Amino acid sequence: MRTQAAYETVDMMLNMGPQHPATHGVFRMVLTVDGERVVDVTPHIGYLHRGSEKLAEHESYGQVVTLFDRLDYVSNLNNELIFCRAAERLMGVEPPERAQYIRTILAELNRLASHLLFIGTYAIDLGGMTPIMYGFRERERIQNLFESVTGARMMHNFIRIGGVKEDAPPGFAPRVRALLDDAERGVAEIDRLLTFNEVFLARTRGVGVIDAPSALSCGLTGPSLRASGVAYDVRKDYPYEVYPYLSYKVPVGENGDCWDRYYMRVLECYESVSMVRQCLDQMEDGPVMAQMRRIARPPKGEVYVHGENPRGDIGVFLVSDGTDKPYRVKVRPPSFCNLVALRPMMRGAYIADAVAILGSLDIVLGEVDR
Amino acid sequence: MTEQPPAGDQEQAAPRPAAHRGPPVEIAEETLSPSGERTAGALRLALRDMMVASGGRDDVPWARVDREHLARAASACASSPNLGMDMLHCLAAVDYEERIELNYVLFSLARGHKAMLKVDVPPDDARVDSLTGIWEAAGWHERETRDLFGVEFAGNPDLSPLLLYEGFEGHPGLRSFPLHDYEEW
Amino acid sequence: MKSRPVQLLIALVMAGALAGLLALFALALALLGDPGDAVTPLTAGRLALALLALLTLVTMLGVSLVWLERKQLGRMQGRVGPTRVGPFGLLQPIADAIKLVTKEDVSPGASSKAIFYAAPILVFVPSFVVWLTIPLSRDLVVRNLDLGVFFFIAVSVLGIVGLILAGWSSNSKYAILGGFRSAAQLVSYEIPLILGALSVVMLAGSMRFTDVVDAQASVPYIALAPLAFAVFFIAGLAEVGRTPFDIYFAESEVVGGPFVEYSGAHWAVFFLAEYVNTFVVAALGALLFLGGWTWPFGDLGQAAAVALFLGKTYLLAVVIFWVRATFPRLRIDQLMMVGWKALIPLGFVSVIAVAVQRFYEWPVWTLTLMSLAALGAAVAVQLRAQRSGAVATAKRYAQRAVAVEPSRRRERTQA
Repeated sequence: MRTQAAYETVDMMLNMGPQHPATHGVFRMVLTVDGERVVDVTPHIGYLHRGSEKLAEHESYGQVVTLFDRLDYVSNLNNELIFCRAAERLMGVEPPERAQYIRTILAELNRLASHLLFIGTYAIDLGGMTPIMYGFRERERIQNLFESVTGARMMHNFIRIGGVKEDAPPGFAPRVRALLDDAERGVAEIDRLLTFNEVFLARTRGVGVIDAPSALSCGLTGPSLRASGVAYDVRKDYPYEVYPYLSYKVPVGENGDCWDRYYMRVLECYESVSMVRQCLDQMEDGPVMAQMRRIARPPKGEVYVHGENPRGDIGVFLVSDGTDKPYRVKVRPPSFCNLVALRPMMRGAYIADAVAILGSLDIVLGEVDR
Repeated sequence: MTEQPPAGDQEQAAPRPAAHRGPPVEIAEETLSPSGERTAGALRLALRDMMVASGGRDDVPWARVDREHLARAASACASSPNLGMDMLHCLAAVDYEERIELNYVLFSLARGHKAMLKVDVPPDDARVDSLTGIWEAAGWHERETRDLFGVEFAGNPDLSPLLLYEGFEGHPGLRSFPLHDYEEW
Repeated sequence: MKSRPVQLLIALVMAGALAGLLALFALALALLGDPGDAVTPLTAGRLALALLALLTLVTMLGVSLVWLERKQLGRMQGRVGPTRVGPFGLLQPIADAIKLVTKEDVSPGASSKAIFYAAPILVFVPSFVVWLTIPLSRDLVVRNLDLGVFFFIAVSVLGIVGLILAGWSSNSKYAILGGFRSAAQLVSYEIPLILGALSVVMLAGSMRFTDVVDAQASVPYIALAPLAFAVFFIAGLAEVGRTPFDIYFAESEVVGGPFVEYSGAHWAVFFLAEYVNTFVVAALGALLFLGGWTWPFGDLGQAAAVALFLGKTYLLAVVIFWVRATFPRLRIDQLMMVGWKALIPLGFVSVIAVAVQRFYEWPVWTLTLMSLAALGAAVAVQLRAQRSGAVATAKRYAQRAVAVEPSRRRERTQA
C-alpha cells in the first residue's frame, strides 16, 4: 500500500501497556505502526513475575497448591487440580471417586466462570458494554457457590493432594443444578446478543487468522488451537479425573480467526454445563481424601502432567528429591505459550485489531509472568 | 426449659459421611504404559545413535542426548514419519548443581505421541543450540530459561530478558540463587 | 434511605426547576432585544443575561442525558444505575461535575499549553452556538434564522478543530491518533448528515426550522423519508462519536483519544460537549423527522408543545443509548466504508427520490415506498454479506464438534 512519494514517512512506535485498559493486566506491547496499520509488535512481559516456581522449591507440597492458585487467578481450581494431579502421580496415590467428581465439577464450573469473564472482557475490548455485565452476573453466582464449598471466592486452596479438603456442603447438588440453569440461560443471553451482532462479526471475522501448522508451531493450545481446526483437547485425548465417564462435545473451528476463538469458548460454556450435570447425576457418597501420609513426601522421580485449562494446555513438570519439598516445579502456562502466536497474528492488522487479537487469546498475566 | 439448638446446626451435622478416608490405590512406579512403549519405540528408531539413555513414566518416555546432538535430535523427532512431533509443549530446566538438565517436552497431536528430550549442560558453560528453527514456540521458552538459568541458546534471534528486567543480575532459577537474602532496592 | 413520596416530591421539584429554566429562557428571549438596537450598557447586560440563561439551559439538558444514559444502560445491563445521590440518582451528574471540577488539573509537561487549554472551549462553543437557532417550540427560539439548517451544519463542523487541536497539543501518541481519527471520521460523516437533512429541506421547501416543523403538522417526515432518517441518524451517531462510532476516543484502543491527557474541569468540558452534542442530534432528529412540537391531532399549547418536543428528543436519545448498549465498536476502515460506500450513496438515493417525487408531483406515499425499497435493499445486502455467513459457519461448527462418548462405563456401587 505504501507508495514511493517525494516525502518520507516514518513508522511510529506505539507503546501499549503495561497500563492500558485493553491489555488485561500488565502486559505491554510495543507496536510499530504505519498510520493505523501494525507493522510489527514486540510483546514485553514480566511485570508480574513473582518467582512462583522458585518459591515452590521452598514450600512443602501442600503449600505449593496455594502458589498455583495465584498463577491463573481466573481459573484457580483448574490450577490447583493440575499440581495435585502431578504430585499424586509421583506418589502413586489415586483420590477417591467422590473427590474426583467434586474436583471435576469445580474445574468445569471454574472453566465456565473463566469463559464468562472472557466473553465479557472481549466485548469490552471491542467496545460492547453489555455482555460483561451479563457475564459477571452469572460468574458471581458461581463464585458464591465456590465460597460455599471452599470458603473462599478466589484463592481456594481446596483441592489437596489425594483428594479435596472436605466434602461438598449439604444441598450442594440442587444448588449447582439451579446455578447451571441460570448460567445456561445467561450464556444463551450473551450468545444471542453478541455472537451474530453485525458489528461484532465485522470486527472479528477474518481478523487475526492463524492456520493450524503455525498454530502448532507456536504452541497454541486450548480453544485458540481448536479454533484453527485442530481437534485437540486433553480431556478428550488424555482423559483424567472422571472425564472418561462423561459424554460431551469438543467444538472445533476451521478459520482460526478471532470470531472462531470466541465462538469455541461460547460452545464450551454449554458443554461445561452439561458435563457438570452428568457429574451430579453420577456422583455418589463416599470418602473424599485418599489414605496417605499427612505430609506429602513423594519418592524420588520426575513427572510431566498436563491438563485442560480454560486457556489451554497447562503442564506441570515436577521433580522430587524425596523430601517434603519439591526439587523443581516448572509450569507450562497456556497463556504464556499462546502469546507466542501474537506476533504472526498481528502483522498487518489495524491498531483496533491488535486489541481484538490480544483479547481473543484470553491471557491472564498472573500465569504468563508467574 | 431446655434450649433448642438452632435449626441450622442440625442440618449441617446430618448428611456428612463419617469416613473421609478411602482405601489406598497402588500404581506401578516408573513404568511406561502401552502407548508410552509405542512412543518409546518410535523415539528409539528416530534418534538411533544419538540416544545416550532412556526411560519414562506413563505415556511420556524420555531420551537423553548429548548437547551437540540436540538440534539434530529435535529435528529428527519433528520430521520422523512415525514420531512427527509437531508441538514443543514445554521446556523445563532443572538445576542439579553439577549439571543443568533441559527437558524438552514434545507432543505429536497428529499421532498422539508425548516424549521428552533431555540434555545436560554444565553450569559453567551453559550453551546449547536453539530450536527456534523447528518450533516457533521455542523462542520464548528459551528466553525464559536463559533468564532464570543462564543457559545460552545459540541461534535464537532474540534472547533479551523476558521475565526479568534489563540489567537484572543473576539467574534466579538456579539453586544457588538465594530466596530470602535477595534485595531489589 | 428516603421514602418514596419524598423522592417523588424531589423529582417534582426538579421537573419544576427544568420548567423554571425554560421560563427563564423565554424571559431571556424577551430581554434579548433586536439586532438593530444600539449597544448600551443596558442592552449588553440583557444580552449577557440571555446568554447565561441559554448556557444554563443547554448545560442542564446535556447533564440530563448523562443521567438518562447511566440509568438506561444500568437497566439494560441488569443493574440499577445511580441511586444514591438524589431521588433515582438524579443528582449524580451534579456530583460528578463537582468531583471533576475539584480535581487537580494536570497537563503534560511537553504539551502546548495555550492550545491545550483552548481546545475544550473550541469543542464546547460550537455545540452551544447551534442552540441559537434550535427552536424549543414555535416561539421559543433565540433567532429563527432563514437558513437554520444551514447554520447548524456550518457551525457544528467547527467542533472538529477543537478535537484535532486537543489531540495535537497533548503531545501524546494516543491523543494524536485519536485526533486523526476524529478528523477523518467527522469530515466523512458530515456529508451523509447533510444529505439526510437536505432531503427534508427539499420536502419542506425551507431551511427555517419552524417551517420544516410546521410542514410536518399532519405527517412527520420519518413516515415519508425513512431512508433519509436512517442516513441522518446513523451519520449523527458518528458525528457525536456514539457507539458504534466512538472510534476516536475508543477506550480500549486509544484510551480516550484526544481527551487522554485531560483531567478535571477541562475534561468535564469535553464530556459535557459530548452530551450536549448528543442532545443536539436527538433534537434535530426530532425537529426534522419526528415533527418537533406538532402532532397530527391539532394545535397544542405552548407548554405542551415544548414537552412534546422534549419527549421526542429524549426518545431519540434513548435509542442512541440503546444502540450503545447493543453494539461493539467499528474499526476505522469499516467506519470509512460505512460512511463512503453505504451512507453517502444512500443519502444521494434519498435526495434523488425526493427530487423525483417533487418534480413529477407523485403522491407522497410513492416516496415512502422508494425510501423503504432502498433501505430494505441495503439491509438485505448487508445481512447476506455478513450475518448469514456467520450463522452458517456456526451451524457447521455445531455439527462438526467432536462428540466424545464415555470411554469407561461407571458401575454404580450404591442402589
